[in-house]
Amino acid sequence: MVRATFASLERLAGGLGTAFMAFFTLICWIFVAVACLFGVGLLLVSPMVAMTRGVAERERRRLRRAGLEVMTPYTVIPLPQGWRAGIRAARADLATPRDLRWLGVHATAGLICGLLGVFMPLAALREITYPLWWQALPPDLRAANFNIPVTTWPAAIVLSLVGLAAMVVLILLIPRLDRLQASYALRLLTPHPSIDLSERVARLTATRADALRAHAAELRRIERSLHDGAQNRLVAVVVTVAAAKRALNRDPARAVPALDRAQEAAEQALAELRGVVRGILPPILADRGLDGALGSLAAGCPVPCALTIGELGHLPLSVETTAYFTVAEALTNIAKHSGARRAEVEVGLAGPSLRVLVRDDGMGGARTDAGSGLTGIRHRVEAHDGTLTLTSPEGGPTVIEVELPCA
Amino acid sequence: MRIVIAEDDALLREGLVLLLTGEGFDVAAAVAEPDPFLAAVAEHRPDVAVVDVRMPPTHTDEGIRAAVTAKRTHPELAVLVLSAYVEQAFATDLLAEGTAGIGYLLKERVGKVEEFLDALNRVAEGGTAIDPDVVAQLFTRRRDPLDRLTGREREVLALMAEGLGNVGIAERLVVTEGAVHKHIRNIFAKLDLAQSDRTDRRVAAVLHYLGIGT
Repeated sequence: MVRATFASLERLAGGLGTAFMAFFTLICWIFVAVACLFGVGLLLVSPMVAMTRGVAERERRRLRRAGLEVMTPYTVIPLPQGWRAGIRAARADLATPRDLRWLGVHATAGLICGLLGVFMPLAALREITYPLWWQALPPDLRAANFNIPVTTWPAAIVLSLVGLAAMVVLILLIPRLDRLQASYALRLLTPHPSIDLSERVARLTATRADALRAHAAELRRIERSLHDGAQNRLVAVVVTVAAAKRALNRDPARAVPALDRAQEAAEQALAELRGVVRGILPPILADRGLDGALGSLAAGCPVPCALTIGELGHLPLSVETTAYFTVAEALTNIAKHSGARRAEVEVGLAGPSLRVLVRDDGMGGARTDAGSGLTGIRHRVEAHDGTLTLTSPEGGPTVIEVELPCA
Repeated sequence: MRIVIAEDDALLREGLVLLLTGEGFDVAAAVAEPDPFLAAVAEHRPDVAVVDVRMPPTHTDEGIRAAVTAKRTHPELAVLVLSAYVEQAFATDLLAEGTAGIGYLLKERVGKVEEFLDALNRVAEGGTAIDPDVVAQLFTRRRDPLDRLTGREREVLALMAEGLGNVGIAERLVVTEGAVHKHIRNIFAKLDLAQSDRTDRRVAAVLHYLGIGT
């Protein structure tokens, strides 16, 4: 029970963070609402909706990390340019009023929940330990919470017992506060009940199509590299060996260069085959598991790379492969393009998902548009119902964050 | 015999040059892309062009298209197309230009030097050379009428479709020419095909019956 309370406390502390943000956003909204009375505020409505979405998304990610299923409900991401189009899109989205209602609740009740949840245990702890240190206080500061003077040993002991009782109550109360905070978020931050299913179906259809496309592209790549690579080399072996055989009868001296060619072609065929196999399933992943494979990637990276591997549990092979290729691609980009002096890789389970984070201190400007190696990674990730977030402003730093559901 | 080679894989190109020059052919040019290939054909006027199906830029069917173009501008040119895998559509595109002086073989056939040289010579003399695998694919498509043939007759039909003449078929099956002649008469009768003693017309008829070529 104490462990559950600590988990709840951790979540409440996280919730307190988003509650402060929600509070700040709410204040901004009030200013914008007042400014709207004079017209100029209208220009700020679209950015404010985007800001609200930002806070709400942060809360959704927090809840997902806690193992709750909270889908992103927006139909248009990001909001269109221009204040008028932005307002129209925000109004058309069923999620906007729900976001605003959540913002109101979280900025007030949520903030109070968080403050109570975080500071009451501290206050209780202060009272429990009061007998240990009250004598060290200057006499005029010897007081319990709410400034009740406590200046004798019996009173201090009683206070400690009261604190202990309060702590027991809190251990029972804190999970409830946590659940309260999550309950309205689950009600308001998920997609509107009417669109939930169709939205989910559309999303699943899209990711399945992506998966099939990624799969087909992968097969095409393998076919191409087998036919144009290894097979061509082997045909070259066959042809040159045939030429050598016939040369042996007529002019044995001419057979030697042909055999040299044949050997060269056979060696290239082997190299091509190794490359193809590595592209399908890296042998090191099969041999040494994800942590070993990542360790070898980090060790092989020309940019110094710090690797942190958290708990991995038992991961599906497809998730391991995707995580491996994500890190491989990111480190290749860092080595080739970023000009970074150091890189960090963090991999570990976060709730029901595997979280992969690659960070560098390079020049930034990385993109996932067509042509970049990250496009393939994005397809791979999305095919697993995962998400890839890339932040890479000009001037750096670049952060790639991938979440892969493991179920 | 003068030959121009178009093959984008450097090692295989060199292998082909090595093999063909070793056999006493005059390899006038060996190139890696369709445009230089057409230029080389115009410049050297070879007897035969050996062309890879996949070439830059897209590595799909550039070789087929280059071969068809070369054949149109130089009707007397014989073209032998090499393919990494059996694709009937390629054979169909190629044979749309007629069957005279056309060959379509899998790359690995080159290793069977005798057969490869035989096909090369046949094509150079205005004949046809179709890969056994392509013929086998065509056979599965027309299974019903072919069931009327005996096993030996089917073998003879397959070798005819590959482009072999009576002598060649007799050699492969180790039978007399007279026996081959008798089998061919039976096949044409069973399949309702017009008889012809000229090999080129016969190959065209057989391929047309099997569904490719005109």
